[in-house]
Amino acid sequence: MEKNGKGVSMPKSSLKSTPSKDDSSQKSKEGRKVQFNNGGSPEERFDYSKSNGKSSSSADKGGNGSTANGKASKSKEKEPLELRLDQDRLKNAKCLMDSEAAEILQGIQDQMTLLSQDATIKLPVSFHKGLSYAQANARYTNTHSVRRVLDTLKKHGVVDGEISVIANACPETAEEVFALVPSLKSKKSILKEPLEVALMVIKPLRKVDSTSV
Amino acid sequence: MFFHIVLERNMQLHPRYFGRNLRDNLVSKLMKDVEGTCSGKHGFVVAITGIENVGKGLIRDGTGFVTFPVKYQCVVFRPFKGEILEAVVTMVNKMGFFAEAGPVQIFVSNHLIPDDMEFQSGDMPNYTTSDGSVKIQKDSEVRLKIIGTRVDATEIFCIGTIKDDFLGVINDPTTT
Repeated sequence: MEKNGKGVSMPKSSLKSTPSKDDSSQKSKEGRKVQFNNGGSPEERFDYSKSNGKSSSSADKGGNGSTANGKASKSKEKEPLELRLDQDRLKNAKCLMDSEAAEILQGIQDQMTLLSQDATIKLPVSFHKGLSYAQANARYTNTHSVRRVLDTLKKHGVVDGEISVIANACPETAEEVFALVPSLKSKKSILKEPLEVALMVIKPLRKVDSTSV
Repeated sequence: MFFHIVLERNMQLHPRYFGRNLRDNLVSKLMKDVEGTCSGKHGFVVAITGIENVGKGLIRDGTGFVTFPVKYQCVVFRPFKGEILEAVVTMVNKMGFFAEAGPVQIFVSNHLIPDDMEFQSGDMPNYTTSDGSVKIQKDSEVRLKIIGTRVDATEIFCIGTIKDDFLGVINDPTTT
């Protein structure tokens, strides 16, 4: 059994006991080494060894033979899915909070009722859906104040898209923000206090919802 | 999420529209052509908010049509992976449930619904917790996270999850 510089120290018996049905036994042995180096749980190790018999040498490169394994993909999913705004595509785009969008769309609808002389100009279905969605989620009485308060977070490195997600979600605590926007977790120590302050300031600006518990 | 963005489009205009009202005709044609459409890059164009610039028209060889490059501002709605949205449930079945957020359809598979929620068939199919405290049925409001998007010619379709923290039912229509 070859031992590489990574210093695998597995008892020989466990390696022998794992069945290897593949012809490329050398490959699977190398694969096992790489996986064990990851220090996964014993359960995962056995799963890796079964799957790696079939996997290609890419497992060796990655050091993480998790492509074929459902369990491993679940553990990858536990790394939370981060909000990925394609910055290149939307360079000139301004992220709108639902409240801001509701105001703009309501203004357009009001204009359309004035300009309804031309019967061929009708507002499309997606407009009405967008307007009702924005109005349902427009949670603040004063959108501009909310925008100003949340923009103060920009100096701590929060981007536009993250600010919009925070505003739309109406979180109660900073913990909720970090759970919903995982990309901010790396700056948790810096952001926690300013976030708590900002959330406290915008809380009274929320519209009182009679149906909420 | 809503965005306010500047887009550019080449509009072709038939000579019958030339004259005093050329610009108005151009703008109304733009609105008819663009509002309500959907693209993979920008999402749904919900509404045009203004015209920034109309360039010089170029006559096309062989026809009398003229092409004008038009820059316009519009509100678009585009969902992103990782985004948190609040959606209204439209249909529930044993594979999961469909929900709507604005013009976008979202499907949440039963694999991405918390394990303690079971499907209950009947007149009003729903997902309920074992103690009956939380129910997801038609017209329920749920907070979900988008984990994937797909764009068709005319609509965007998303896959979502409610299996993470702070996600799930916000408003049960039966408890009012």
